[in-house]
Amino acid sequence: MKIYKTDINKITDYIWEIPKSFRPAMRVPARVLASEPLLDDIMGDRSLAQLVNVASLPGIKGTSLVMPDVHEGYGFPIGGVAATIFPEGAISPGGIGYDINCGVRLLTSNLKRDDIKGKTEALSKELYAQIPSGMGKGGQIRISDQEMDQVLLKGAEWAVEKGYGKKEELEYMESNGRLVNADPSLVSAMAKKRGADQLGTIGSGNHFVEVDYVEEVYDETIAQAYGLFKDQLVVMIHTGSRGLGHQIATDAIKQIISAMPKYDMQVPDRELACVPFNSIEGQNYFKAMCAAANYAWCNREIISWEARKAWTNIFSSNTEPLKLMYDLAHNIAKIETHVVHGAQAQLIVHRKGATRAFGPGFKELPQDYKTVGQPVIIPGSMGTCSYVLAGTPKSEELTFGSCCHGAGRRLSRTAAKKQVNAPVLQEQLKEKGIFVTAGSYKGIAEEAPIAYKDVNMVVQTVSDSGIAKKVAKLHPIAVIKG
Amino acid sequence: MKVEYLPHTADIRMRITAVHLQELFHVGIIGMGNILKEKFCLQDIPYDRKLKIEITASDPTCLLIDFLSEVLSVSYTEKGIFCKVTFIEFTPTKTIAEIYGKHVYGFDEEIKAVTYHEADIFKNKDGHWETMVVFDI
Repeated sequence: MKIYKTDINKITDYIWEIPKSFRPAMRVPARVLASEPLLDDIMGDRSLAQLVNVASLPGIKGTSLVMPDVHEGYGFPIGGVAATIFPEGAISPGGIGYDINCGVRLLTSNLKRDDIKGKTEALSKELYAQIPSGMGKGGQIRISDQEMDQVLLKGAEWAVEKGYGKKEELEYMESNGRLVNADPSLVSAMAKKRGADQLGTIGSGNHFVEVDYVEEVYDETIAQAYGLFKDQLVVMIHTGSRGLGHQIATDAIKQIISAMPKYDMQVPDRELACVPFNSIEGQNYFKAMCAAANYAWCNREIISWEARKAWTNIFSSNTEPLKLMYDLAHNIAKIETHVVHGAQAQLIVHRKGATRAFGPGFKELPQDYKTVGQPVIIPGSMGTCSYVLAGTPKSEELTFGSCCHGAGRRLSRTAAKKQVNAPVLQEQLKEKGIFVTAGSYKGIAEEAPIAYKDVNMVVQTVSDSGIAKKVAKLHPIAVIKG
Repeated sequence: MKVEYLPHTADIRMRITAVHLQELFHVGIIGMGNILKEKFCLQDIPYDRKLKIEITASDPTCLLIDFLSEVLSVSYTEKGIFCKVTFIEFTPTKTIAEIYGKHVYGFDEEIKAVTYHEADIFKNKDGHWETMVVFDI
């Protein structure tokens, strides 16, 4: 399916729409949130054809949506949001992705940029030593089958109970780090086996742990509420539910493909396989997905504990411990209430490579963020910068309370490897004061800044469109990758 | 039999071709094994792992994807790469197979999943079986 610019209507400077009439199978229009230069860039791959396919999901409401960081995926585009009517609308595992509850969290410190002078390399090495990373590798924590069920039920609470985290941190996680619908009995033995030794590990690919300093503060009031200040050292963690989540999604897509004829559901791509949310297969997947999401929150909580150990080993034990600013998911489905065509509706909101971005007053927010809105953490690429934004009421109006999740890939891994000399890049970044520690040069080349869109443009777009407000810009100092 | 790796913005697209349908499955695991560890399945391997797997599916395309997914899962649990397969039973919708692999210390690439996206087994103009396989990385 080829989509030309003439097929797209300009709604505002930042909203572009492919009308429902574009394809007979479309049930709703398809919308792109992007500036015009970013839209032109997005048209370079098959993201928009995938977005049009998503608009055909049974029970989809409003519009199928993509954020400015969108890129081509495998079925659903990465950077997309699809909301279907609760309870009979479709739930599609492909709309959440294989890395269920891949997400990001930010830890803040009381230290400033000057405090790390002469210690950056040592801190990088210590973080790399404390936090297991790499392809298919396990961590230091092994859990029994009974403990696994508790992890899947309790999420980050399990880590807190075992001494890996603090109880008061739980409210600073989306959904308090636990989805109550989780049912471990619906998670396969293979998935549990794959997850048994991976708690506290980041894995590989685009996952990382990064030390940044706050380069610029755009909104002092919100920054203060989030505990951010200029030159402050912070730690960002990006990972998800590891092999356990990958297996749950694999198992579910297989089962759902078989079940689709029963519900007379048809989709243009098998990776969009779906069933009614309230069907047995839909519920089985949703409850297993919640279990994987809980595993991911537990994983990021344990990684934070490992990061704290590295922190105190390099700075002194008197240093104030790293404090959780916020933790949010960007591959997940949630039951939420939104206004569609002027009426409130309960929806199954699929976010795949998109985060929540709720404005002030959102009931799930901790008390100290209630008046300023939900933190939105946007990692850039190593060597560029990242951002902290705040959700706004406009996101609830335009994007089902959603925002972009990163810079967005623009080059294939193969193209990045061809264009990047990893040892040279590592040295160039070191000269700029950014220490990259990785398991392989291949990983550095694949994740080089050139492989990503300009995060500044992406963030400016979401800021100008009004769906999130810029709070602070973060500059990387040390990057740990698998 | 042939494996080609094609561009994809974030993931890996692999086109595989083979004279016989069974052979396509063998090419699939070789192509996947070489992603997990570069050129691993191109060398002479003293296999130290052997597993029996059984897959049923609605059509040959789903059978191939489900077969590769199962091999991928056991690669992680067995911490090994599987490059050889012998079929005990093979029909377009069911296979019982023995797969052979070798232990590895970590992988070069972590494949999250074998997807159904673009997968569609067909006979190409040369009369060979062909399909695309997209891996989530």
